[in-house]
Amino acid sequence: MKLSSLAVLGILFSPMVIPADLDQAFALEAKGSVQEAKSLLHKAAASATAAIETKIAYAEFLDQRRDPQTLSVYRDLLPSLPAGSPNRAVVERRIQILDLIARKPTNNASSNHPTIQIPGPIRSFNRMAALSPDLTPDDLLGALARNIVTNGFQASSGREALEQTEYLKLVVRYLSQAREIQKLAGESGILRIEECDSSITADLLRILGYRMRGGCGNEVVLETVNASRAFLTIDSGFPLAQLEQSLRTNSLFEYDYRPTSVSVLYGPDYWLPSKDKRATDTDFIDFFITDPSVCRFYLGLSKLDPETAEALKNDVPLARLKAFAHVLDFYGGMFEVRNGRALVPGGSRAEPGWAKLAGASPDQGGKFLSALMVKDDGWLASYYDATARLSGKLQEYLTEPSRMERFYNAIRGKITSPGPARPVFRANTEMMLLTSRLRLGSDGRPHIPGSVEVWKQLFIKHPNGKYDGKLTKSAAGWKEPDDVLEALFALTRKAVENEPLKIFMALSDINRHRKTPLREETVDRLAREWRTYGSQFMIFTEVPQVEDQTMLSFLDNASRISGYRNHQIRSDAAGLQQALTGLWQIFCRQNLIPPSGRDAALSEILGNFVDAKTSVDLFDAGRKSVQILLTATGTTGNTSPHDRMMDLLVGESQISNPQAHTQLVQEMARIFDSQRLIPLSMIFEIADNLQSASEGGKLNTQLMGRFTSRIQEIQPARISLSGAEKNVMSFGYATELHIETQRKVNFRQIADRASKNQEKLADARGHLTKFLRDTLVGLNYIHYAPPGAQILITNPLFVRSHDFIGIQGINQTWRNTEVFGSGWPSSAGGRLVGSLSSLPYALANAEQNFLIPTREQALIWGDLVPQMIVSAKVPRWWNVASTQMHFVGLHLRLGESAVAAAALDEQKRVSVLNILSRQIPPARLKSIGDSLKQGDAGKAIESILPSEFFVLAHQAIAENIEIPGPEARAIARLRQASPEKHSMEAISVAFGTPKPTLAHSYLPELLNLRTFPTLMGYSSRILAESWESSTIYFAALADELDIPPSQLNVNVPLWTQKTVEAIFATHLEDWPALLRSLRVVGEDIRTTHRNETAQRASLND
Amino acid sequence: MNISRRTALSMAVPLLGGVRLLGQDATFKVKVDMVVLSFTVTDSKGRYINGLKHTDFRVLEDGISQKIVTFAEGNKPPMQILDDGSTRPLLNAEAVGKEGVGEGRSDAFVGTNVFILFDTSNYMYRGFVYASDAIADFVRGLDRADSVAVYTFSRNLTRAASLTKDRTDAIVGLRKAVAGDDSAIYNALLLTLRDAAKVPGRKVVIVFSNGPDNGSMVAPDDVRVVAEDEGIPIYVISTSEVNKDSISSGVFRRISTRTGGKAYFAKTWQKQVEAFESIREDLGNSYTLTYYPATNPNEGFRKIGVEVISDVGKKYRIRARPGYRPSRIF
Repeated sequence: MKLSSLAVLGILFSPMVIPADLDQAFALEAKGSVQEAKSLLHKAAASATAAIETKIAYAEFLDQRRDPQTLSVYRDLLPSLPAGSPNRAVVERRIQILDLIARKPTNNASSNHPTIQIPGPIRSFNRMAALSPDLTPDDLLGALARNIVTNGFQASSGREALEQTEYLKLVVRYLSQAREIQKLAGESGILRIEECDSSITADLLRILGYRMRGGCGNEVVLETVNASRAFLTIDSGFPLAQLEQSLRTNSLFEYDYRPTSVSVLYGPDYWLPSKDKRATDTDFIDFFITDPSVCRFYLGLSKLDPETAEALKNDVPLARLKAFAHVLDFYGGMFEVRNGRALVPGGSRAEPGWAKLAGASPDQGGKFLSALMVKDDGWLASYYDATARLSGKLQEYLTEPSRMERFYNAIRGKITSPGPARPVFRANTEMMLLTSRLRLGSDGRPHIPGSVEVWKQLFIKHPNGKYDGKLTKSAAGWKEPDDVLEALFALTRKAVENEPLKIFMALSDINRHRKTPLREETVDRLAREWRTYGSQFMIFTEVPQVEDQTMLSFLDNASRISGYRNHQIRSDAAGLQQALTGLWQIFCRQNLIPPSGRDAALSEILGNFVDAKTSVDLFDAGRKSVQILLTATGTTGNTSPHDRMMDLLVGESQISNPQAHTQLVQEMARIFDSQRLIPLSMIFEIADNLQSASEGGKLNTQLMGRFTSRIQEIQPARISLSGAEKNVMSFGYATELHIETQRKVNFRQIADRASKNQEKLADARGHLTKFLRDTLVGLNYIHYAPPGAQILITNPLFVRSHDFIGIQGINQTWRNTEVFGSGWPSSAGGRLVGSLSSLPYALANAEQNFLIPTREQALIWGDLVPQMIVSAKVPRWWNVASTQMHFVGLHLRLGESAVAAAALDEQKRVSVLNILSRQIPPARLKSIGDSLKQGDAGKAIESILPSEFFVLAHQAIAENIEIPGPEARAIARLRQASPEKHSMEAISVAFGTPKPTLAHSYLPELLNLRTFPTLMGYSSRILAESWESSTIYFAALADELDIPPSQLNVNVPLWTQKTVEAIFATHLEDWPALLRSLRVVGEDIRTTHRNETAQRASLND
Repeated sequence: MNISRRTALSMAVPLLGGVRLLGQDATFKVKVDMVVLSFTVTDSKGRYINGLKHTDFRVLEDGISQKIVTFAEGNKPPMQILDDGSTRPLLNAEAVGKEGVGEGRSDAFVGTNVFILFDTSNYMYRGFVYASDAIADFVRGLDRADSVAVYTFSRNLTRAASLTKDRTDAIVGLRKAVAGDDSAIYNALLLTLRDAAKVPGRKVVIVFSNGPDNGSMVAPDDVRVVAEDEGIPIYVISTSEVNKDSISSGVFRRISTRTGGKAYFAKTWQKQVEAFESIREDLGNSYTLTYYPATNPNEGFRKIGVEVISDVGKKYRIRARPGYRPSRIF
């Protein structure tokens, strides 16, 4: 037995007696043969002569993989461990931890808050008020308040007052109907219809808005008599069909119609104006939903933890609090008062700065927060919120008092209205992005791409018009990075397109992974051309090996192509170059082109297009570039370019999991065929044949025939726009021409006509350019095709319709990919317009409404779902090691163990909560802390995200917090065995998600940011990008179920689809609904997989 | 390790018709599914002609005569046509089964699988409850042999009641429908057709909507092609007046007639009930036959022709889908 294995095993006992079986078991585990390792250990542990170490090793093995047998195996160990021995204590402690993790959370319906009653069943009220049925009684009123604030009222024409929307009118009418039914149900609250022919039947039907057609008996049919009432009946989910059935069979109809109790924060009296204090608990709901200011106030206070809320309530008059409820709602989530003092971002060092800015000392918590809220209509609170979300050195930097004052004054400007909490979404988007993505160098100074001088010149000379007159003047004196930052902070107030800030973040992100930062002149050029080509810069961010010169060549090419007057040539050139760059990007991302060859490959591809001005040139450039890609990816021999390309697009060079690989290739082939694209090999074969014919060879008529029959399958371009549509948008002609030109290609005819002109015959390959373009563009589409890919399967012209030109007058050729043409029954269906730079997101966006919600009344969450699909589809897991997946699984397990340990030990609780506070806002953290104090680890675990567990575990190890259990030792073992594979950087690449908005890149990575709120201009999109839990959760699940990492390529898109379809969210920030869905789907997968495994095992037996 | 994709793909092929190579790489194979063809026969006055036998018909595909495998009239149980032209009740549905939902059901070819697609978008807000009543009446009145599924849609599709013979289940699902927001009718219709295509036997989709679409990503004609290929007639009951939204009306007409269905413009509840009655009659008076296509090199659109052989039959009108495209496997 080697000593190194001791750490490997994590055994609790003397190393001297470890049997050899264990070494073998762990060797098997390390190479991914988990079941074999398990069997071996099981056998060894079950042996009559098994050492206790072996038995423990087996229990710990199961423990690390969340095996359902873990607890019972641990318990079986106890009789063999002497009472009072340290080993027994350790095992007992682990059992205690696992018991806590496994225990269901206590029902939180019994909170300490007073309650009110809502008439009728809660599910009916939830349906009418568009609330998730999963909400707890404690959370319901807060969610309702949000819906009332966002959807309950609208400006009325000609009057200043707001009027109720149809949504709210229906809720109000429903409450009235519910009360009528409740009255009919009597004191018991149970609605009972014993006979068809009775007065109560008549009363009920009248209330419901229905009547019986025909007399009582088996022909009874209920039909609408009062449409308004009937609508409420159906919309609220009253069991009308069951009532009808009971009447028909003259059997008892019974329906529980008792009112529902829901908690009210601080009790109803707190919210009622003094004149209405006598309102009963049943009337409160009517008062609540008809006053949007109360709802906003409720929403604001519900964001605070109880101690902070109490401090505010005590120190600030209610009217003042209510007047700034909007600020509290948007920026109060990070407020924290402890023992009367406000805990400010930056800590005690920053307190004087905050005191000066707010005009009140943090020593008096409530008063300080009140001053913060009202200052400048919420701008100071928004800055406070943005910095409070940070931690570490960046927070220290931004909250250094003098700097903080300087930056805030820049934000504030002279006019502070309107405040950032006035619009429907938070208006400090740019500030949030700047503070969260700012990077400090090793010297502790902010990273400024290029140099201060570049930015100075940008502001002074401003290529596309002045950014800001005052800043243009002040720029002349800039010397330090903070001068640039100050200007950027000043611009965060701009409501319109904030170009310099976007340039700054995009270029900062390009530099983030580069060994050598961009040169000054490169930064200068990129900044100046950002408006036209900025969305292409993601390519440079994603592949840090791209040299400055190649970037400049890219811009030169793009500029040259934009100058082509002929639309067909321009779109073919742009399409070909973008499609080839897109494929190169995919191959770099999947590590199919080694880092050393990436720049050269791109540079060569770009070089091919420098002088390509005709169809023939473009075809040659495209073909040569395909060869460059194949060579760069290590393709050798006579492999068919098309087959090879498809294999590469699956994401691996060598097939590691034939079943998964073949499945993905088949899915891609199906889409390829649905789009009637021409395989690369056929295109090249025709070109070769034409060349050969021009040199006196024979034209391959069979080949041409096959090509022609394929072309005939291309449907004619439909008239894509109705008259009405044409009035709205006048584009699309180039696409129609593109399709029609292809349909007319007939090589036999061309050959006949050119038979005497060899040059003409050779040049006939120019007719293949459009086909080559579509095939290459199509390969990009296919790689990113979302699960189901209904559009790509159904609309055979979807790829061919990609419009690289766009609306006349707006050069969309290099802009983000956008979805156009949804709706309008006469249209040819949606199409994508612009460049291919954000193709993954655009495809997911177009496809999302084909997902079918499994929850009644739920809708697909429009702004979040495309990013979730992108996160499932862009990353590939072919090269991920099973030990990396286990590494993630162990972290999640360790995180849970740490939380459970915190329920048992106060000291650990302090440490765990301290780590969690860097990710979790105060109110949720307080609730977790309270649950832990009560020993309810299950409830605490339920409210922590997988990504938060991951960070918790990582930090717990870094801070040497001892957590009982085998996970930390197993993590150490993996790190020791292969430090590179199990570094945070490697795990970030393996299980991260693409963040095109936050990080300007589709390269998957983990940023470990706090979950973002919704933001103006982005809705839930940035929230979705900051959501890193799904992949981590699925990786841990796969590890638990012993599913190989390569299978994630097939499973993660499907599991994500299921998760999306099971979400029932109440509002755009309802990430808990996403977490619930993730866990429900996970449990379903777990159960199904285990049942199938058991079935297979029984069949084998 | 590197395996040949062609080998792997070939192993997965259950039943192959024509085989075609494109270039030397991608291999596409035409899958010969049994073709299910439903059609009605009417005289010049639009009256249904009943009582015809399989021997009264000739089925052509691209002009190639086809051998009928099963034949049924209305909701009567289908008959298997033997080689000598005699018939016997089709007992073993698996003999002609197709993979998917309902596989192995012995009654899979008896009755019609009716998929109702109910528009619950904002556009239907005012007529929502009346529409619900009309659909409930239709469901109650379906032939006992029929199965019914109720789907609803606004921006997304909801499977309110899966395919069932139990009318109460279907009506419970229907009555749970919730009013929604935007309308993506063609997206929803496509998804409904995809579900229906998995069911063996005869099936129809009935769309109940007032027309406008502001959310679909697929074009009506692309959806229509799917229905044609799968042999699923689409019936549309529009609650809008025919002239009010001429774009939607035109589309409704086109997708229904091209798939062998019909479009009704029924603004009032009474007209909606009448439309449903007409559909029910159509279902009860239609013929359904199946055949395995004879060898045909055409891998594109195959034109189907149904003829009544007798002289008198030449005056009859036959309403059927015009053709289909054979599916491919990879």
